[in-house]
Order: sequence, then C-alpha cells, then structure tokens
Amino acid sequence: MWWHAIWRKPEWKNWPLIVTQIYRLGVLSVVITVMSGFSIGAVLALQGYNQLVRYGSESALGLGVALVLVMEIGPVVSALLFAGRAGSAITAEIGLMKATEQLSSMEMMGVDSLQRIVSPRLWAGFIAMPILALMFSVVGIWGAALVGVEWLGVYEGAFWSGMQDGVTFSDHVLKGIVKSVVFGLVITWVAVFEGYDCQATSEGIASATTRGRCIFVCFGTGTGFFPDPYHV
Amino acid sequence: MTDHIVLENVVFTRGVRRIFYDVSLRIPRGKVTAIMGPSGTGKTTLLRLVGGQIVPDSGRVWVDEQEIPKLSREALFDVRKSMGMLFQSGALFSDYSVFDNVAFPLRIHTDLPDQMIRDLVLLKLQSVGLRGAADLFPSELSGGMHRRGALARAIALDPKIIMYDEPFTGLDPVAMGVIVLLIQTLNQVYGMTSIIVSHDIAETASIADMVYLISDGKVVGAGSPDHLYKEDSPRVQQFIKGLPDGPVPFHYPAADFEDELLEEIPNR
Amino acid sequence: MQPRSIEIVVGAFILAGILSLAIIAFRVSGFNLGNETSSYSVYARFENLGGLVVRSKVSISGVVVGRVAEVSFDHETLTALVRMEIDSDINQISTDTTAAILTEGLLGGKYIGLSLGAEEEFVTDGGELIDTQSAIVLEELIGQFLLKQF
Repeated sequence: MWWHAIWRKPEWKNWPLIVTQIYRLGVLSVVITVMSGFSIGAVLALQGYNQLVRYGSESALGLGVALVLVMEIGPVVSALLFAGRAGSAITAEIGLMKATEQLSSMEMMGVDSLQRIVSPRLWAGFIAMPILALMFSVVGIWGAALVGVEWLGVYEGAFWSGMQDGVTFSDHVLKGIVKSVVFGLVITWVAVFEGYDCQATSEGIASATTRGRCIFVCFGTGTGFFPDPYHV
Repeated sequence: MTDHIVLENVVFTRGVRRIFYDVSLRIPRGKVTAIMGPSGTGKTTLLRLVGGQIVPDSGRVWVDEQEIPKLSREALFDVRKSMGMLFQSGALFSDYSVFDNVAFPLRIHTDLPDQMIRDLVLLKLQSVGLRGAADLFPSELSGGMHRRGALARAIALDPKIIMYDEPFTGLDPVAMGVIVLLIQTLNQVYGMTSIIVSHDIAETASIADMVYLISDGKVVGAGSPDHLYKEDSPRVQQFIKGLPDGPVPFHYPAADFEDELLEEIPNR
Repeated sequence: MQPRSIEIVVGAFILAGILSLAIIAFRVSGFNLGNETSSYSVYARFENLGGLVVRSKVSISGVVVGRVAEVSFDHETLTALVRMEIDSDINQISTDTTAAILTEGLLGGKYIGLSLGAEEEFVTDGGELIDTQSAIVLEELIGQFLLKQF
C-alpha cells in the first residue's frame, strides 16, 4: 500500500497539489536555510582561517570550506532544518487531519488519501530538499568568501582556484546532491508515516512530531557523517 | 434480497475489547433507519464496517448485494462513491473554503466543466441553506453550519446511501431542528437510504422508520419507534426512558466499596 | 483553486535551485566533468609516495596536465605504482621523461612534476615512465642532517 503511493507516477491532475506542497515545504524553508547557511559558512571560514594561517596555508581555505559544505554540512544541516520545520509540519498536519476525521471522510468519499495526501508531499520533499541543500551550500560558500576574502584578506584568486581545483562535479557535488535527495525522501517518509500512525489525540500528535524528528536526527547524523570510501 | 444493507453475524474486536458479539441487521432501501444505543457500544464502528474502513473478524456485510470486506481497494472506492457519510466532527477540509469542500468530490470523481460544478455546488449549498457562506472557511463556521456544510459535501455526488454519525450531538435546539428537517427532506426528496447513529431518542424517533437498539455488542431491540416504546425488555426501557440504573449499571464494575475503603494503602 | 502567486513563487524557487546548481558547477567545481574520455594512462613507480594521493595534480612546467588516477603497491618490484591520467592533447611526453613527486610550498600537498626528456619516442596509453624521483620526506632530511652534525 505504501509502495503503491510512492511509485505511482504523479498524475498531471495532482501537479497543483505538488506545487502547493513545494511551496509549503520548500519555499517557506528558504529563509531559515539561507540564514543558517550564511552563518555556518562564515564561521567555518573564520575558524578554518585561524587554524590554517598558522601553517601559512590559508589559501586552502576555499577548498576546505567548499568541500565541507557541498558534501557534508550542506546536505546534512539543511536536512536537519528541513526535518525540524517541514517534517514536523507534515506530521502535525496529517495527525490533525486524522484526529478531525478528515482522512476518514476523504476515504469515505472514495478518494485514496495516500495518493491525495502522501504522494504530493513525498514528491515535494524529493524536489525541494536538494534545492534547499544547494542553496545552503551556495550561500555558505558566499559567506565564507565574504569572511575569508573581504575581511581576513585571503588572496581571492587562491581562494577560488583552490576550490575549483579540488572540487569535482562528479565526485563531490553529485554525492552531496544524492545525499540530500535521499534525506528529502526519508524525512518526508518518516514525517508522513508518523502522522498517519499517530494516536488521534493532541498528545499523540505531539509525541509523533517529536518522534519523527528524533528518528531523522539519528538517521541523518548516522549516515550523513559516515565516512565514505571514495573521499580521500 | 431487497434490503439495501445487510449485516450478518458480525463479530468485531478492537484490541482485547470485543465490540460486536453477533450483530445482524437489515437496513431497508429508501427508509430512515436509526441505530441507537448507549455511548461506547460501537455505533460509529458499525458505520465504518458498512463503509469498509474496517473489516469484521467474522460475519458478512453486504451493500447492494456486494460483500464489502471482500472487495478490492478499487472496487471498494467505487462502492463508496454511492455512499455519503456525515461525520460527527463534520470533517470539512480545513484548508479549503466551504465551496471547495463541496466541490471536492465532484472535481475528483467527475470531469464536469467548472461552470457545471459551480452550479451543482451552489444547488447543494442552497439545499442546506449555506449558499451565502460559500466563501467562508471551516474555522469561521459555527458548529451547526459546519455540520450542514459537511452534509452538503456528503450529498454532492447524490449518493444512494447516506450515513449520519451522531448528527445531533453538540448542537443548540435550533440547529438540531434544522438538521432533523434536512435529514427528513433529503430522504423524502432524493429517496436516499439513510442511517442515523445517535443516542438522542426524541429527535431520532421523530424521523426514523426503523430503529435498532444496540447494547453490549448485541442487537437488543428492533422495530418501529412506537414498537420500541412499548417493548417490555428492561434494557430497552432503561435506554428509552433514560433511567440512571438498570441492566446498564450506574457503577463501572469495581471491588466491594466497603472493602476498598478499609483496605490499607501499602507503604511506599 | 490554485493561486497564481504560489505557482510563480514555486517557479522562482526551482529556478533558484537550478541557479545554485549552476553556481556550484561552474564557480565552485570548475565543472571538470567527463574528462576521462579525453585522457590516457601513464604508469610510474616510486620508492616512496610521501603523501601523494588519488586526484593529486600532474604538471609539466607548473601547468596541470592530468591527475593521479590510481595508487597501488606493486608486489613484484615492491614499489608504489601510480597510474596517471594525462590529458590527450598533451601527447608529446618522451619516454625518458622524469616523474618527480614534489611539494607545493614547504608543507603543501604533493604533486607529480614531469620534466620532459629528449627522446624522439613518446609514451602512449598504458606506457611507463622509468625515470622517477621519490618524494622528499622532511623527517628523513632532518634525520640525515642531524646524523651529519654529530
């Protein structure tokens, strides 16, 4: 039944639903994602610079920050934010729809609530998560450049060319994107499932919301920072 | 088999609690049938069984000579298009306006042009008296209006069966009168088979053609309202007259009161 | 039912995503995708790699012409075997070219520097550079220096 809801290709009729969900899950998370991306990038540059400058290797700052952001922190932290913001919202919304019999009434109207409720949210998570992670990385790198180049005085050419030398699209960028796609699916999946599965009471909704987030934080930190064999 | 809905020896257990021991009932076509009983006897569960949302442990449920628990998901959804259900909470979708709520089943199940959907929705809203509230959202409606809106949605597809789950609960006398009138009108005008689940005796008895009384997981009384009023069974009498004590005891089963008072609390 | 503004905002959101991807691709990673098709492999053996890793640069006269693709241990000669991928437009590496493991700055990353030889014959795909110079390991240098002192 669950697989059915996932693998069913989105029907054209459902596209407006997906758009609405992208708006609610993705667009509304942009501000928080961009802001934390900027500050994390800036802090990484500041602390990275302080350590690197001791060995006179501050020109490696751009590369280090870019790799960390694109591959690790971008996908993972933006996913944590997404889980906290959008994931909880999904769980609470579905839990509330269950508690107020809206899901039952939809089923009684002969409408498949999985297709109507679950599928658009999963697709929206699938689409929105990598976009948010990419935005996070871009803004983070921009923040790092601002702090590193403008403020701390790292030579601009070294900052960018070191980055371009060390980061490859196929190895690092794609890996980060794949990570965030997987995270997007897992978060929405867990959130939707918790909402569906929760006790139809206010307490049940509250605990399901927290549980969903906890599951993801464990999963995200577990897999996200897992050292991967290709990354030397 | 002329009856619209038939339940035969239905047994249903939720967790460890047995809700229905052995329930058999027949609901005639085009009539108003009431299912009454004390709260907690699983009257709502009965509606969910008919709608196929839950499956009985044993026994059979037929709607229009189709056996509901054995249908595939698709076939079940098809059958449900001919059923309307009014939930106790109304269950209007909170992020849609009243108009969109009523239009929802039409938009999903039909390919009618927007103009025609609009006309149909306004027609249904007019019949429940909410045409003026079409653009309001569910959170802006009073309890009675919410339920009327939900009723308009339930009848949007002109179902053959309409089920009311506690339609009178939590309404003021005026709103209650409106709902009673609506149920009656819908039954007479559209000839819908109506099932009312309720424990409001006076209102239900005034419109029901047939009453089933359920208590302790069994059907304890059946017949027309007048017939039930005359029934001797103490269970039926207790429920109809609203006596606080009788076969349904006032006290939840407990140990002897005196013993419990004298019992020493173990030291912690 | 679907407010137009939401559609527009979602469109902008997806565009921003594509833009971010483009920025990362061109500005951050220098978009060096798929250069494997236009390169050829050259092998070299070293006594000591001293921190040379996969994806380290290979350069001639300071110009990057390829990458280290694979590092392994050769059980026959008991030395490190390095496979380099050289851009195919650099096709005039003579067979007597010297491959040396060098360091960027005093403490920077290791890379392979190729000093072209004088032979008329050029290495082809799968060829090997015989003349190699291992990495200079700082600790060894210091050790030797100290030994000479005393």
